[in-house]
Amino acid sequence: MSAGAKSRRIAPTPASSDTETRSVPRAVPPTERPREKRPFLLDFFPLEGPDQTRLSRFYDRLREGRLSTTRCPKDDEWHWPPRVACPKCHSEELEWKDLPERGRIYAFSAVLGGAPMGMEADVPFSVGLVDLNGVPLRLFGRIEGRPWPELHVGDSVRVEPYDLGDGRVFYRFRTID
Amino acid sequence: MTGRPVALVGGVTTAFGVRPTTWAEMAQEVGAALFRAIPTLRAEDVDSLFVGAAEPERFAFQSHVAPLAAEQMGLQPHRVIQRTELACASGQSAIRSAYAAIAAGLSDIAVAVGVEKMNLPSMAEANSAMGCVMDRPWDGPHGATAPPFFAMVAQRHMMEYGTTEEQLAAVSEKNHRFANSNPHAQFYAKKFSKEKLLGLPVVAPPLRLGDCSSMTDGAAAVLLVADKFVRKYTETPAWVRGTGQYSDFHNLANAGSLTKWTGMTHAAREALRGAKVAIGDIDFAEIHDCFTISEIVEYEALGLCSPGEGGAFAADGRGDLGGDLVVNPRGGLLGCGHPLGATGIAQAVEVYQQFAKQVPVARQVPDPEWALVHNLSGSANVHSVMVYHGGGAS
Repeated sequence: MSAGAKSRRIAPTPASSDTETRSVPRAVPPTERPREKRPFLLDFFPLEGPDQTRLSRFYDRLREGRLSTTRCPKDDEWHWPPRVACPKCHSEELEWKDLPERGRIYAFSAVLGGAPMGMEADVPFSVGLVDLNGVPLRLFGRIEGRPWPELHVGDSVRVEPYDLGDGRVFYRFRTID
Repeated sequence: MTGRPVALVGGVTTAFGVRPTTWAEMAQEVGAALFRAIPTLRAEDVDSLFVGAAEPERFAFQSHVAPLAAEQMGLQPHRVIQRTELACASGQSAIRSAYAAIAAGLSDIAVAVGVEKMNLPSMAEANSAMGCVMDRPWDGPHGATAPPFFAMVAQRHMMEYGTTEEQLAAVSEKNHRFANSNPHAQFYAKKFSKEKLLGLPVVAPPLRLGDCSSMTDGAAAVLLVADKFVRKYTETPAWVRGTGQYSDFHNLANAGSLTKWTGMTHAAREALRGAKVAIGDIDFAEIHDCFTISEIVEYEALGLCSPGEGGAFAADGRGDLGGDLVVNPRGGLLGCGHPLGATGIAQAVEVYQQFAKQVPVARQVPDPEWALVHNLSGSANVHSVMVYHGGGAS
């Protein structure tokens, strides 16, 4: 059983020159386009406060411009998404780690129609899986910047936290030219 | 396989498509059709009901659908009643649960029904419902739905193995052609040549409209019974001989290789082992072609061909009538449409009808003995496989 699960692990991408760690937090710039307010059950963006999630530190750190996740120090296991218990040893003593700001596109596509509610105005938009530099994590996300016909597997992208305009933040990727 | 032998002894499918009817009305419709199709079936004999429904909360704003379905179908289950939810595999999950209950002696005679109402006045609402299948707070906000995920599978398959758009179109052409002999199919009356498919608009590059299954309303139901009740209902039972499932991730970050569906290989191996047969013994397979690329990766995961050869397997007609085995003679999800909870049940109806030689000659597999049914769910996070035998006695 563990063989199948193991085969899905991703080998870490070798650290490259464009890996960077951030020492100085930067504030996320204000939203460029106010979002229509939706009831929670019609809105994919999560409730981020400590009254709703034990992972509110993720969003606090994101607000400071840092994409981060949890890591189990016992197993050296990096998690995505961040967790409250390690899936391997089930320890609840996890630490927060900043993630590299850059990565490379592993696969991508674009939504040219059929978007969920609240995203119709974004069409066409690109999404992809991005191998973060230097950590064994491949994150899914929106890819802003160049339009999809100009994207390639292997292109470098950077993490871009953004402000939802209602007190919440989220993250996406942006192409590097 | 342990426990009492269990057989599928009949089943029905409603029309699949964009239908001016509700979830509950389709449950009534399929119930009425089931009793018409199996004249010896009496409502009071049905002791258990399993209801496959993926997202009635989203598509119909309705929970607690198991008793709702029972009431619509005129059933009063008195041993086991439950809903099964496994996204796109909710229907097969209902059959598997009915099988398990009967094999264990908790039920003798059970109905497995699948119902999904997906077409709403607002497509954006329906697309939001589909987005909920993904990891909502992490993948959802990026706009993750099935088409871009399977498009990435196709992109990687093309990159790693040289699979072509023409090979994708070969899958779609075959399944749409089979659907032209299935009056219940969403695309029964629509012809799709390879040339026409390759000219359809791109919806999630590299996938075109004809590479994607549709939003579909529909219902299907089957009757499963313990061996001693089989002859009361049919002379051509489809015996459940093997089952397997495998799940190894949910968040898209943890998908690993997009092009090697090892979970499906594990699930199929388990189901075939239970049936004591090899993949080469299978005469026809109903597998989950939610997208053309899915069927190609599934050929490989089943071991019908080597990794990377799925595209050629399609283009060479090896999954067509006269090929190695017949894949998706019903018309697949591409040709029939994909009402999530009903799909797995409708596939099993095809298995029963193929064994009973009740389907039009254009899609009848010659003298089939063994059949394999597969559903994936979500972004191929779960694979569910069942193996059936049409060989008469238990």
